[in-house]
Order: sequence, then structure tokens, then C-alpha cells
Amino acid sequence: MIGNDIVDLVLAKKESNWRRKGFLNKIFTPKEQLLISNGVNPEVMVWNLWSRKEAAYKIYNRETKIRAYIPLQLECYYGNENFGTVSCNGNMYFTQTVITDEFIHSIAVLKKEYLNAIKTLDYNDKISKTNGIPFIIDERTKNIKPVSISHHGRFWEGVTLFNQSINK
Amino acid sequence: MNKEQTIEQLKTIVKPYIQNQEAFDVLTEDTDFINDLKINSANLVDVILDIEEKFDIIIDNVSMERMVNVKSAMDIIETKLSEK
Ligand SMILES: CC(C)(COP(=O)(O)OP(=O)(O)OC[C@H]1O[C@@H](n2cnc3c(N)ncnc32)[C@H](O)[C@@H]1OP(=O)(O)O)[C@@H](O)C(=O)NCCC(=O)NCCS
Repeated sequence: MIGNDIVDLVLAKKESNWRRKGFLNKIFTPKEQLLISNGVNPEVMVWNLWSRKEAAYKIYNRETKIRAYIPLQLECYYGNENFGTVSCNGNMYFTQTVITDEFIHSIAVLKKEYLNAIKTLDYNDKISKTNGIPFIIDERTKNIKPVSISHHGRFWEGVTLFNQSINK
Repeated sequence: MNKEQTIEQLKTIVKPYIQNQEAFDVLTEDTDFINDLKINSANLVDVILDIEEKFDIIIDNVSMERMVNVKSAMDIIETKLSEK
């Protein structure tokens, strides 16, 4: 299983005022808020942590079928700028984050080694959806492969895992 | 405050964040903030903060978890108002 989330940093600046009173308290734990206030670039940290949570939520929601707005239950262990984990009610997800001046993109997986098996989708991949949740059908094996897609502003990213056995 | 008034106020609150005008025009209690109105999930925080300000209530974290559609938002607002 896989989850991803992309944030267009230009659009985020327009859409969200993360400095608004109460904003950070509603979505980040005290520890995460410290990372933000101590960070060299608080804004990048906000969207870095946020995209990790959203990527992890996509796996959590698919596996548990629980739909809820639970940013505080998705707790980031930072690690470093690019790698960390997110835990949620006893589940743990490994995250990988790419940061550029224009966007932040996080991918979450269930095991650390799966981060080496990520395949990026392009517009030619035929993506189907059930209840809004995306998947593709492997042409060779006809198996259903879970995919995760995310779009925000100027960006679209779709990802899946190479190996069928780890798509469970 | 009756139900109609609450729903009207709620509509005013969510309006700036919606990305699907058609779903907004036919908004009912069953309307989902994210799936129907296409409010992005970071802006859902703004909706929650705006509700707190407008109704002068505090939405605790447990209530916030349910804030994904109009119906639960109305329930939460009513409950919090009655506790005042
Ligand atoms: C489902 C959710 C994660 C989508 O995120 P988003 O930032 O609004 O939008 P994205 O572009 O990143 O993702 C949208 C895509 O995710 C896919 N998607 C929708 N629901 C999904 C789910 N439950 N699981 C996995 N993928 C899902 C869809 O393919 C969708 O693309 P489409 O609209 O083209 O079909 C989010 O809106 C949501 O429900 N959040 C509430 C949960 C929560 O607590 N979030 C806060 C965590 S910090």
C-alpha cells in the first residue's frame, strides 16, 4: 500500500495562512510545533509535516476504512528533511519527502525498504477508481495495483509500488 | 438559533474555501466538505477556526475528527451552543 501528497508552495501561500491564531494547534502536536518554530524555514516545515501526514492518512484510511479529520493523531517523527515516520493509532508509516522551491512531495509506505520500489505514474497509465480510491490494473497479470495520486495547484503526482507482493 | 439559520451561517463560512460551486449551490446536510465541496484538507482547519469564531465556541479535538460533512458540523455546533 502507498500514499502520497503534494503541496504547491505558491498556492499554499495563497490558500493558507498557517500563522493564523489557532491554526498550528489544530493540526500539529506540541513536538511538531517545536520543529516548526525552531526550523530555519518554518513554512517549509509546516508543509513538509503536513504532506507526510496526508500521505500516511491515505494508507490509514484505505486499510482501516476510517474516515475522520485526524491531523493530531497522525504524529510525525521527523528524522530528517527527507525521511521520517508517521504513526497513527499503533500503525507506523515510513515517509520520503522531496522538497524544491516550488513544491513538497511526500510518499508514505508500510515498510522502509518499499521506499526503494516506488514507481512514478504518468498520464498514460490508466487509473481507475472505486469510491474515489485510485488503482491500476496490471496489464500482464491483470492484478489490481493500488496507486496514490495527489494534485495541488500546478502539480500532479501519481505513485505505485513495483512489486505486486508489496502492494497488499 | 434554528437549523435553517445555522446552515445559512455555515454556508457563509465555507463559501470562501469551496472549489465546487455546483455542490455548494445544492448543499444539504449530507454534503461532504472534502469529497463534494472539494475544500482542501488544510483549509478545513480554517473552516473549523471560522466556526469557532463565528459561534464563539471551542471545537475540541475529538469533535474536530468528525468535521467532514455538513451534518456533523451542525451537530457539533448545536451541542457546543447548548453547553454554553
Ligand atoms: C483524502 C484526502 C487525504 C485527499 O487529500 P487532498 O489533499 O484533498 O487531495 P489530493 O490531491 O492529495 O488527493 C486527491 C486524490 O486522492 C485520492 N483519494 C481520495 N480519497 C482517498 C483515500 N481515502 N485514500 C487514498 N486516496 C484517496 C483520489 O484519487 C484523489 O484524486 P482525484 O480527486 O483526482 O480522484 C483528504 O482530502 C482527506 O480526506 N483528508 C481528511 C483526512 C485527514 O485527517 N487529513 C488530515 C491529515 S493531516
